[in-house]
This record gives sequence, C-alpha cells and structure tokens, in this order.
Amino acid sequence: MDIRVLRPSDIPLIQHANIENLPENYFLKYYLYHALSWPQLSYVAVDVSRPRKTPYDYPKIVGYVLAKMEEEPADGVQHGHITSLSVMRTHRRLGIAEKLMRQSQLAMVETFGAHYVSLHVRVSNNAAIHLYRDTLGFKTEKTEAKYYADGEDAYCMKLELSFIRESLHEGPRAIVAADKDDAEKAKGDDEDGAAAEAGEDVDEGEAVGDVGRDPDAKKSAPKKKKEEVKIKVGRGLGVGELVEKNEAKHS
Amino acid sequence: MPQPLSTREANLFRTVIRHYEDKQYKRGLKAAEQILKKNPKHADTMSMKALIMNAQGKTDEAFALAKEALTIDMKSHICWHVYGILYRTNKNFDEAIKAYKFALKLEPDSQQIQRDLAILQIQMRDYQGYVQSRLVMLKARPQLRQNWTALAIAYHLEGNLKQAETILSTFEKSVTTAPSKTDFENSEAVLYKNSIIAEAGDIGRALEHLEADGNNNLDRLAVMELRARYLAQLGRGADAAKAYRALLDRNSEHPDYYKSLIEALGISKDDEDSQKAVYDEYAVKNPRSDAARRLPLDFLTDENFKVAARAYLNLMFDKGVPSTFANLKHLYSDSFKQTTLPALAEEYLNEHKSTGGEKEHANGDSSKGEGAALYFLAQHYNYFMSRDLTKAMAFVEKALELDPKNVDFHMTKARIYKHQGDLEKASVAMDEARSLDTRDRYINSKAAKYQLRNNENDRALQTMGLFTRVETAGGPLADLIDMQCIWYLTEDGEAWQRRGNVGLALKRYHTIFNIFDIWQEDQFDFHSFSLRKGQIRAYIDMVRWEDELREHPFFFRAALDAIKLYIAMHDKPQGPNGVNGTGGSGANGGDVAEKKKAAKKAKKEAQKAEREAAEKAAKQDPNKTTAPKSKDVEDVKKKDDDPTGLKLVATSDPLGDALKFLGPLLQFSPRNIEGQIAGFEVYFRRRKYMLALRCLKAALALDKDDPRVQEQAVRLRKAVDPVLASLAPKLQEVIGLTFASGASS
Ligand SMILES: CC(C)(COP(=O)(O)OP(=O)(O)OC[C@H]1O[C@@H](n2cnc3c(N)ncnc32)[C@H](O)[C@@H]1OP(=O)(O)O)[C@@H](O)C(=O)NCCC(=O)NCCS
Repeated sequence: MDIRVLRPSDIPLIQHANIENLPENYFLKYYLYHALSWPQLSYVAVDVSRPRKTPYDYPKIVGYVLAKMEEEPADGVQHGHITSLSVMRTHRRLGIAEKLMRQSQLAMVETFGAHYVSLHVRVSNNAAIHLYRDTLGFKTEKTEAKYYADGEDAYCMKLELSFIRESLHEGPRAIVAADKDDAEKAKGDDEDGAAAEAGEDVDEGEAVGDVGRDPDAKKSAPKKKKEEVKIKVGRGLGVGELVEKNEAKHS
Repeated sequence: MPQPLSTREANLFRTVIRHYEDKQYKRGLKAAEQILKKNPKHADTMSMKALIMNAQGKTDEAFALAKEALTIDMKSHICWHVYGILYRTNKNFDEAIKAYKFALKLEPDSQQIQRDLAILQIQMRDYQGYVQSRLVMLKARPQLRQNWTALAIAYHLEGNLKQAETILSTFEKSVTTAPSKTDFENSEAVLYKNSIIAEAGDIGRALEHLEADGNNNLDRLAVMELRARYLAQLGRGADAAKAYRALLDRNSEHPDYYKSLIEALGISKDDEDSQKAVYDEYAVKNPRSDAARRLPLDFLTDENFKVAARAYLNLMFDKGVPSTFANLKHLYSDSFKQTTLPALAEEYLNEHKSTGGEKEHANGDSSKGEGAALYFLAQHYNYFMSRDLTKAMAFVEKALELDPKNVDFHMTKARIYKHQGDLEKASVAMDEARSLDTRDRYINSKAAKYQLRNNENDRALQTMGLFTRVETAGGPLADLIDMQCIWYLTEDGEAWQRRGNVGLALKRYHTIFNIFDIWQEDQFDFHSFSLRKGQIRAYIDMVRWEDELREHPFFFRAALDAIKLYIAMHDKPQGPNGVNGTGGSGANGGDVAEKKKAAKKAKKEAQKAEREAAEKAAKQDPNKTTAPKSKDVEDVKKKDDDPTGLKLVATSDPLGDALKFLGPLLQFSPRNIEGQIAGFEVYFRRRKYMLALRCLKAALALDKDDPRVQEQAVRLRKAVDPVLASLAPKLQEVIGLTFASGASS
C-alpha cells in the first residue's frame, strides 16, 4: 500500500470507503472542507498494484484518515482532531491505520503547531481502541454517554504530541539547509510558539455551507455547535451590504 | 432609480433583509407585505419578497415577481442583483452572470456584486472574465493580499503562468516588513509561487526559489518533496538521494520515495542485490514497515524472490494477517511468482500443521498461522488468474474448521459461490458472514451488495438500514441518497433493471446523475473560502479535479447503464406502468405477461420495504430525532414527485433522454470504448449518422478488432450506402475512409 497525503480527486473513493466502513457519514463537501482547510492533515492508503481497467481509473483507496484542526479550541490550546478513520476489511491488520495516524500527527505539529490530538471512539470498538491506546499511546480522557446516534457511549481520547515537537527540535530545523550545512541547524527559534500561532492567524471567514453531518456536531449538545458548518446565505449573497450603501445614498 | 421609502419603511426594509439572512422567511415576508401595503409598487421590496419566496421553494412565483419588479424599476441594481441571485440559485449561471453585469453597470462600485460576479465567472470557468473582475477588485483594495493572490490564480488558471508569477512577486516586493514565520498565508503563497515556476518548466529556478524562500515553511513535507524532485530532475543524484532518504525517514510506506532514491543512487534496474539492500536498510530501521519488506518482491526474481517471499509470508502468517493475499496478488502477472507463492504457503502449512487432535482450541495461537495460510490458499484459488474454485472451497472449508466463526473466511466463501455463478448461495453465505460481526459496517455493506446481485432489492435495503441513520426522514433509502452512496444506488438500479422495473432503475441512475451535479456545485463556496483560508495549492487541485469530475468511473457506470436502458426502451416500448422486458440479457425468451407480473411484484416489494423503513424511522426515540434546528428556521426540501420513476418511464423520447447521460460520457471519457459503442447505438437510432460515425471512428482507434465495433461499421455502411450518393463529396470521403481503415466487411 502507498501511504500518501490526500488529494481532492481522491474524495469520491474516500467517501466510498467511509460509507462502506462506518455509520458516521458526510457529504462530499465536508471532505472538500477538510481538504481545502487542512490539506496537510489527511492521508490515504492506496492500492497501487491494481491492474488498470479503463484509462480513467482512480487510485483505489483502501484506507484513509480525515483530520482537522479544532477551529475554536475550548481550552484555547491548538490541537488536532480525527474526524474519521477506516480501513477496508480486506486490508486490515497490515498496519495501515497506524501509519495513516502517524503521518497525520506529524503534520498537525509541523504545520499547525498542534499540542495534542483528540478523537472519539465507540466503547465497543476493540480494534480501534487497541490501535489508539496500545499502539499509538492515546489516553482516555472521559466517557461521553450516548455520544453516537444509536445511543452508544464514546471514549474521548487524547494524545499529547510533545514527543513529536521534541523530535523536531532535535532534528535539523531548516528543511533546505539540512543537508547542506548541519551547523545551520537548530538556531534555537521557538518552533512551538511559532507554529502554534499560525493556526490562530488564519481567517476562518465564512463557513462553506451545509457540508454533511459531523457526528461531533450531533444532537443537542450545545458545546458542539461550533463544529457544525452552516452556510451563511444572506451575507454570502451580499444583499446586506447592498442595502447599507443604498441607505447611505438616501441620507 | 431606487424609489425612496419613509424612514419607518426603510427600517422595515432592513428587517426584511435581516430575516432573509437568518432564514426567517415567514417574518421576512410579513415585513415585506407591510411595506408593500403602503408602497405596492416598491420594486426593491418586491425583489426581496421574490428572493424569500425562492428560498421557500416557490421558484416560479419568485421569478414572476422579480420580473415584475424589474419592469417597474429597470434602473435598480437591487432588482438586477436579486434577479441574478434567482438565476444563480436555480443554477442558470449564464443568465445570472448577465443579470449581475447589469447590476454592476448601475452600481459600478459595488464590491458585493463584483464579488458575486467573479465567483460565478470562475465557477463557469470564464477565465478572461474572472481576470477582469479580479483586476477591478484588486484596484479597489490593493492592500489585501487575498486580492493579489486571487488575480494570480485567475492568470494561472487562464494559462498565463508568467503573469501569475509577476503578480505574486509584485505583492511580495510591496511588503516592507518581513512576514513572520507563522504567517500561514505567506507560507502557502511561497509554495504556490513555487508551483507556478515549476509548472512553467523552469526547474532550476524553482529549486533556487525553494532554497531561498522555502526554509521554515510550515508545509514541511511539501518543501521536502518538491526539493527532492527538483534535485532529481536536475540530475543532482547525490543531493537527491539525501533528500529522498530524509523523506523515507518520515514515511517509509511511500513506494515512490524508494524508487526515486534508487534512481538517484544510480542503481541499475537489473541489480537486484543493490536495490534490495536499500529496502533492507529501511526494514531494519523500521521494524513495523510493511513496504520495505514487501516492495522487493516486485522486482526480485527466481531464488531471490523465493527467499524474500518466504520470509514475508512467514512473518504475515505468524501474525495471522488475513489481508496477506490482497497485499500480494498483483505479483500474479508474473507466472513464476504465481506458482511460487502458493507453494510457499503449502510449505508453511506443512511446517505448522496443528499437532493436536482435530479441533484443539479454535482460536489458539498455533492455529493462527495455519488459518492465515489456508485462507491465503483459498483466496489464491479464488483469484481470477489462478482460479480453481473446487480447491478454493476446500481450503476455505479447512480454514473454517479451525475457526468456524471467522468473518473473513465466510466472506471468501461467499465470493467463491459468486464466482461459481450461484448468486443465491453467495448472498446467503455473505449474510452469514454479516451475522458473525453485526457491528462491522464493511461486512454489512458486502452482504447488501450480494443481496442486490441476487436481485433482492428489498432485503438489501433492510440490511443497509441496519447502519443508516434512523433520524433521516424517508428511511434508509433517503439516508443513502443524502449521503451520496453511489455504489448502493448503482447496484440497486442494476438489480431493478434486471428485474424489469425500468422506473426504479432509471430513478437510481438519475439520482446518481444529480449527485454529480451537487458535487460540481459543491466547489462554489470554495472560490471565496479558499482565498480566506489561504490554501491555494489545494484549491487549484480541486478546480482541476472538478474540471474532470464526470470522468469518474462512478459516473461512467451509471451513465452507461442508463443509456443502455434507454436504448432498450426505444427498441421495445414498454407498458404503461414502467414495466417491460428490457431487463436482463437472459430475459429474452420470457413471456411478457409473466414478466409484467414479476415486475409488479418487484414494485410491491419495493414499496413495502420503503414503507417498513419509514415506519421504523418513525418509531425511533423522539429524543433522538433530527438535528438541532431552531423552529423558526424553515428549511425547504423539495419533495420528490416521482419516487418510483414512473414519469421517467413515461418518456416519449428515450433516446433523447439518453443524450443527457451520453454527452458527459463522450466528453469526459472519450477513451473508454464502451462509451463510444453506446454512443454509436444512440446516434445510429436517431439517424445522426455523422455523430455515429464519429463514435465509430473513435472506437476503431481504440480497438479496431472489437467485433462489436466491426459489426457497427457494417451496419452504418448499410444504412448510409443508399444515401451516400446524395451526400456532399467531402462527407462521402470521410465515410469512405473510415470504412476502409476499419472493418472492411
Ligand atoms: C480500526 C481500524 C481502522 C484499524 O485498521 P488497521 O489498518 O487494521 O489497523 P493496524 O493494522 O494499523 O493495527 C494497529 C494495531 O491495532 C491492532 N488491531 C487491529 N485490528 C484489531 C482487531 N480487530 N482486534 C485487536 N487488535 C487489532 C493491530 O494488531 C495493531 O496492534 P499492534 O500495535 O499490537 O500490532 C479498522 O479496523 C477499521 O477500519 N475498522 C472499521 C472502522 C472503524 O472502526 N474505525 C475507527 C473509528 S474511531
């Protein structure tokens, strides 16, 4: 399998893998929203060895991780979140999920200065729990009762990413100069602080419309409301601004 | 000129807009009515009212009212703007653009209208128009970096790379303070510019630029990958090798890195040992890496292959990995590997035979390896290149003896039945597999698929309903449509088609067609969103992908199904209730009455399944229903007025309807011969011989030996021969040439 970063053209088959494997599904637009907001964070596993059937074959996606940065972290700490992860049953136990997760975690720190990554998992999902807790080192934060639509509880899990931050400090700082001049490395800039701010500077702007149902945006729970992405029709269409001008004329 | 309102009413007018923006349509209408009571001909209010009605789904009335408003006040930019919005929300983008342009003429300084126009232009890929709009917008607010980037994007997409780069550089030069390292917009802009330089083909300069400006970039991986690629392209092998090693240290599961490293090191393709040494190095470094162990199997030969394959298989079998075969089957194009792998699996079996009595602990560790090896062999004999279904079944049965409740084993058993052609047994077996792990949606999906293959539409929907969201009004089917579940809709349509229910089959294909429309429409919001987010390269990728959206095999398959069905409808007009014999190929000899009966039964079943699903949905815990929506927000969802596709069946022009599918098929997948063949059939029946000829020529170019194409050539010649003499000489020539180069009958 080839583990690589997601491309927009992968999305129909990612959506396919998602609905094949998991009950929490999304519109295509919600995948686009991830791909165009945090393109560095989502990864796919591709079966590159499939024989081509037509000149228009798309890379066969056998696993994916769809990840994001928390837009308005309640605790004020930059962190990533796993929206969805799954591997086709025919390709499970090959280590694919683990590798997808590790790539995503690395990018969360490098690109967006994430301090930790969080996720939800069904309390009955032994395979996933094994992966998160035993293989990747996640800790269970708490249990959220009836988190899922069918009434099942979720574990809220969290992994501190300081180990990645530290390894970045040890390694050569500058990408380009790395193998040119090792003495240049690690000038002592504070990468943590630097990258951490990056995400905050980004203008979120308007939401991109009704993009599907995020299980995190589920139900009454008010604190999750912010994760719901809703279109802002009026302002988007600009009638408001038009009228303000119009009135100015009359006054 | 906008008509003046009293202060009170001007305030009211503002409320109308606010209510509209908050989707409080009823309140908005009420306020509008209040204004209109006093000023019945206030065009702007009428327009706003139309806008609200449109949002409520009353499209026709909205258009009528908006037109009336326009006739009253042709000089109101609000009226024109609203008119444009109406067209835009009803997806008539060309008309929307015209209306916006009128509005803009009346109100040239409106940034809002200009922005709306620009978005539509890029959505419609009017690059020149987009460049113009972005130029205006840049002039209006040059202090915003977004506006510079947007203009560069416009030039870039138009194909003017030079100008795109210049624009980006102009902005850079205008900035006096060095951008901070955490400036994401800047970080991305650097890489965007770099991608433009590389796209223009100037790799040397791209590398220079990257090394000068790419340091500390927030997208570290992109910089590393680009740099490695440039170095390789520039022939700087030693540097490229270093760069690829750095990439492999990050991700040792990306085959390209290995290949590029080996190339950069100058290792010859025949030098198996040196290549293997590279992979071994990373296998040692990364004990959990799969690629480093598996990829050498691609190029190793003979004894080298055998040794490496044995090591790999032993590792996987010992771990009991059921996916081993899926990871290796591509090697089967090599006949030596195809015979070696099963031999090695047998060898493993002989060494690891469970020693004790027949049924020691079913899941014990000792049987793990044996089960995995047996399973490998079952899949081997089930694979199309090495198929022996009797042996496959024997192996899977043996595996099941070890572990009778293994889902994967049962799943493969179902596959074997399918390959034996026994769709019923396959369906039963897959459902058995499903019942062994009712929490896994994958196996659930497979069970539904196998039910559909066995024409059990209703049961399949029930099966799917075990995982669809219960809150969705309309039951599982509505949920699957909502969630754009293409595979299910396709399989369901094909099953209905086999059963002779043309209506439901067409319905599904049209639903898929509509989903692709939605996917195309989905990019709309990102034209502005991405500028704000600053993720420009991802945005460009999306635009280019959207340009080719309908080449996707998902679209092709459903469209081809639809076209074939329409052709069959044309050839054999159907009964009044959407039931006919245009179904499966094997249905030819069947008695019409019987088929009708079967189709009727099928329809009843479908209705029953939908009803049951809806009932089940209704019974759900009321606490858990529906998303949090404030009651005031009225969301209008158009009701489907033809759920069973009867209206689609009632068409008097099936071939005309087929064109809707055929157009994109030929446009986006011209190199797929199936599309050309289907295109010929449609055009030939419509007596559009030039168009039929075009398909024929394309098909001949793809595969002149395809007997179907040859037959079409003969048929076309027969049809045109009598009229050939009356055609223009130029046409005669073209036709004559095609026949000569293709199948001479
Ligand atoms: C959970 C899932 C993503 C794991 O994918 P995968 O590629 O098979 O996982 P990996 O091969 O990377 O395995 C990682 C670890 O988990 C373990 N694991 C995987 N599947 C397991 C299972 N069924 N039971 C116990 N452990 C399991 C592996 O043995 C490995 O552990 P190790 O570190 O001790 O070797 C996959 O099973 C899946 O897609 N399930 C359905 C969708 C789902 O539940 N997604 C998670 C939603 S939160």
